[in-house]
Amino acid sequence: MYQLLNHQRKEKLRSPFWTKNILMNILLGFLGLYLIVTALVVSFMAAGFIREEFEGRDVIEVFTAFLFYFFIFDLGFRFLLQQLPALSLQPYLTLPVRKSKLIHYPLLRSISSFFNILPVILVLPFFIMIVCANQTGLYSTIWIATVFSVIITNNFLNFILKKYFVKRPVLILAIFLVAGCLLYFDSIGNAPLSGYFAAAVNAIANLPFLFMIPLIIAALTYYFAYHLLRKNFYPEDSQTTRSRPESYSFLNKYGELGELIGIELKMILRNKRPMSVLIFSILFLAYGFILYDDPDNHFNLMLGGFIMTAAFAVNYGQFLFSWEGSYFDSFMVNRVSSFNYIKTKYILIAFSGFMTFVITLPYAFISYRIGFVNAAMLLFNIGISSVLLLLFSTRNSTSIVLEKSQFLNYQGTGAMQFLMIIPLLGIPLITYIVFLILGIQQYAVFALGAVGFVGIIFYRPLLQIVVNSFVKRKYVMSSNFRKK
Amino acid sequence: MIELNNLKKVYGTKTALSVGQIIIPERDFTGLVGNNGAGKTTMLSLILDLIRPHSGAVTSKGKIVPETDEWKNYTGSYLNEGFLIPFLTPFEFLAFIGSLHGKNSSDVKDFLNKNRDFYTENIDSSKYIRELSAGNKNKIGILAAMLPEPEILILDEPFSNLDPRSQSWLKMKLKSLHLEGVTILISSHDLKHVTEICTRIILLEEGIIIKDTKTSPDTLVELESYFSVQV
Repeated sequence: MYQLLNHQRKEKLRSPFWTKNILMNILLGFLGLYLIVTALVVSFMAAGFIREEFEGRDVIEVFTAFLFYFFIFDLGFRFLLQQLPALSLQPYLTLPVRKSKLIHYPLLRSISSFFNILPVILVLPFFIMIVCANQTGLYSTIWIATVFSVIITNNFLNFILKKYFVKRPVLILAIFLVAGCLLYFDSIGNAPLSGYFAAAVNAIANLPFLFMIPLIIAALTYYFAYHLLRKNFYPEDSQTTRSRPESYSFLNKYGELGELIGIELKMILRNKRPMSVLIFSILFLAYGFILYDDPDNHFNLMLGGFIMTAAFAVNYGQFLFSWEGSYFDSFMVNRVSSFNYIKTKYILIAFSGFMTFVITLPYAFISYRIGFVNAAMLLFNIGISSVLLLLFSTRNSTSIVLEKSQFLNYQGTGAMQFLMIIPLLGIPLITYIVFLILGIQQYAVFALGAVGFVGIIFYRPLLQIVVNSFVKRKYVMSSNFRKK
Repeated sequence: MIELNNLKKVYGTKTALSVGQIIIPERDFTGLVGNNGAGKTTMLSLILDLIRPHSGAVTSKGKIVPETDEWKNYTGSYLNEGFLIPFLTPFEFLAFIGSLHGKNSSDVKDFLNKNRDFYTENIDSSKYIRELSAGNKNKIGILAAMLPEPEILILDEPFSNLDPRSQSWLKMKLKSLHLEGVTILISSHDLKHVTEICTRIILLEEGIIIKDTKTSPDTLVELESYFSVQV
């Protein structure tokens, strides 16, 4: 058992990601620290805040109800970010180690993950200061045991959900939508789920014999997670059977360009990492609900327009060529014209921008302006941003591992990705500031749209600039891609 | 057909390849042999414009390789897995390569039927290339290189990971392509295979050409004695 622990630690520590990517690690470290400090502050301030805002109500009850929200969001975040515990089992399969041990071990180990530490930090100060101080020892013990059980349940429930839903992206979106609706109804008081949750926790804490229930639920989720991993134990099990591969025959009539676009679409849809970028970009579109709070704020409208029409382009485009790192050579030795190769990516970015524009058009119900601003920003993103993305991508030459999982995977991310964002957001920003100084900020987006329109008309010479840069850079790119 | 002139490639301080002049005439069938790190793959990569030489140049039909894409029209090649697109099915991949050379999917099917004895797996299977065994990946790569009916065929270690039957099929195939007039350049660790089928052998050692001869009945013995070690 100890050796397994040791190997898993080494697997993490020795992954090339840590040593190569110091910048990313520092950023992640700060993020972790920020979350911990926030959780501590919330926990210490909670009681005071609740007494002020919810006068006359029981502090513990309100806090428990609030925990309900937290656990729902927690599950959502875990789903997006927390990885399945996997010690690459293959080398151990033929060694004299009991099978069950190989599965129990990484599962139990996942309990010490940051995702479980954070809720504990959030709960503990409140528990010590308020619950322990005001309630009997028995009530306090059972209260905390129940809360910890929910944390553990979330931990294993996430693995079960992940294993089940990872191949069904449409269902994921549907569940997020349903969860969002439930939370909305809860907050306006139509379906006080959080109230039920608080009442349940309170009841359990008051009737000690009920405290077995959350423990049993937690144990059950562990049991199911165990069996799920056990079922997927053999390497051959993780291969899924597929129906016949889909074909994009409608692309055939566009010749080489159509073929290349077909390949790229398959690359996105058949590999975990680009697929997760796609899902994440779609989820990101919901950001509009926050941004469009004040439809008279021209700056927010412009920023919203940028996000709504470039969400996928920026997320996907930062790795434009790196996605193809593992098979870049096949484009190098085959008869593929560089111009068409670049144009494929241009069309893909433009098309994705148009799609997200259409998807987010209902925001125009909030204000008709949103529709016009988004259209202008769409022109700008197609005409200018996409060319900039392409140009920067030729400077980026770390191969992306397509099959390595999903969110918060920073393999291949470097300083370039951060630099790329500067001109992309910078040009609209500077335009806005100039127009603000002139006192005509409401016309900034129209100027951007006009520039974008000109960019689209002159896309050939613009893409030729990219092609020239690509031809110059291709040796460096391909030799870096070959370094695995 | 292909000319290497004063070609030199350096990695750090190590010279990976340094050759004065090699001329590969039309209808030549050349085998590159040498230990690991002798510069075989480096040489093939330079011919395919995958890496840039430090000095010197490769010309194909008299044109400098990096300056034109023309050689891609008549050169078929497979060096390693990087030439395959991992998330496509074998047929999708071959159809893609075919489409780049103006072949439609029924042409590709005909081609596969003709070479059925080599790739015996079900070609319509929905398995992706990344799920294939090393040998089958190799086969798909070799087929993709032959599919466009190239005038020059360049293969790196084509016999590796192949089962005995496929090895002998490939030997026959290369021989018959050679008779049809295709210029072939392969590298191999298997001295028996290369001396059996190649008409010319180039022996590399630490980036330098040790030997460049026409294959004769004695070549195999000579090579074996060159590589022999005492244990």
